[in-house]
Amino acid sequence: MSTILDLHTHSEASEDSRAPVEAYLNWIKLRQAERPVDGIVLTEHRQFNRDADYRRLEDKFGTLVLRASEVETTYGHMLVFGVNDDMVARFDFADVRLDAQTLIDEVARMGGIVVPCHPGRPNIGLYEHYQSRPPLENVVAVEALNGGSRKGEDERSAELIAKHGFAATGGSDSHLVSLIGLCATKFSAYIKTIDDLVRELKTGNYEPVDFRPRRKTVPHAVAMETR
Amino acid sequence: MNSFEQINIGDTLGPLELFVSKDQCRAYARTMGMGEGAGRFTDDEAARKEGLPGMIIPGNMSLGLVSKLVTDWIGSSNAWLTRMSTTYRVPVQPDRTVTIHGFITNKNPEDRTAEIDVWMENEESERLVTGTATVEFRK
Repeated sequence: MSTILDLHTHSEASEDSRAPVEAYLNWIKLRQAERPVDGIVLTEHRQFNRDADYRRLEDKFGTLVLRASEVETTYGHMLVFGVNDDMVARFDFADVRLDAQTLIDEVARMGGIVVPCHPGRPNIGLYEHYQSRPPLENVVAVEALNGGSRKGEDERSAELIAKHGFAATGGSDSHLVSLIGLCATKFSAYIKTIDDLVRELKTGNYEPVDFRPRRKTVPHAVAMETR
Repeated sequence: MNSFEQINIGDTLGPLELFVSKDQCRAYARTMGMGEGAGRFTDDEAARKEGLPGMIIPGNMSLGLVSKLVTDWIGSSNAWLTRMSTTYRVPVQPDRTVTIHGFITNKNPEDRTAEIDVWMENEESERLVTGTATVEFRK
């Protein structure tokens, strides 16, 4: 039994999002035919929402809600899965210059996994850092599809993946309710807990999936009236 | 537009397609008193000197365009836009077509408000400006 998870989402707990978790889950229910995701992972910026409890919402909507974090490192932004007390004690998640190699190695030692996100994005992606600095060690996977990517960013991510042989994930990076689930990751295994997710992320048995609509170019538009 | 009772989560607003010319952009900058020291809004060369690809539309103008989607939807009905927040992801350039999209994402019967996602896209479907709006309906 496979599982499709949106591995990169931001709720109103992140300072740049106003999306309530319940609204995300309701939207997934509404759009299930177009975006058949089984669950989401909340990856709030520079924090880990340790005490949040979404079981009531999970039961109400039948959608899995897991928690992780998006942190900022010397090699760009990275998702940390399997966050536990040891990691929270070891790292200041609010630090915007976390040492990337230390983070990757220490999180792995403490039972989690780090996945660099939107690697093709200028300034905050792995691709650009790799142009001038040595590659990181022990990177298992990177985010291949990001719902917020501009033209060319996912292509740079693909180039990086091909060159280094990383496994590839997908996530919407949603900050708006209606953008949830646009990109996701399809796992061959059944995932029910964060431990399941970390275990599967380490195996590489998954692929990014893209549910973004293909829009037609606007042939002509209405000129804005000047008053 | 419908009444509060008639709208539903998932309803769409727009899309609203607009072409904003450089002259309109300059006129806005002048009207808003941005003329001096704001060449990025009025002159391609001045904008390029700042590392921009060319003239860009002022953020407040983008905010107005995104708001237009919501206020057009409200029309003459008994509701009003009470809050709008925006994030500027990519500079918006004039002399191009932009499309503004919206979705109703939540309804709160207690205060008769609707939450709306809005965003502006370019012709390559890149989201340039994103935001959320709250519309309140009178009884």
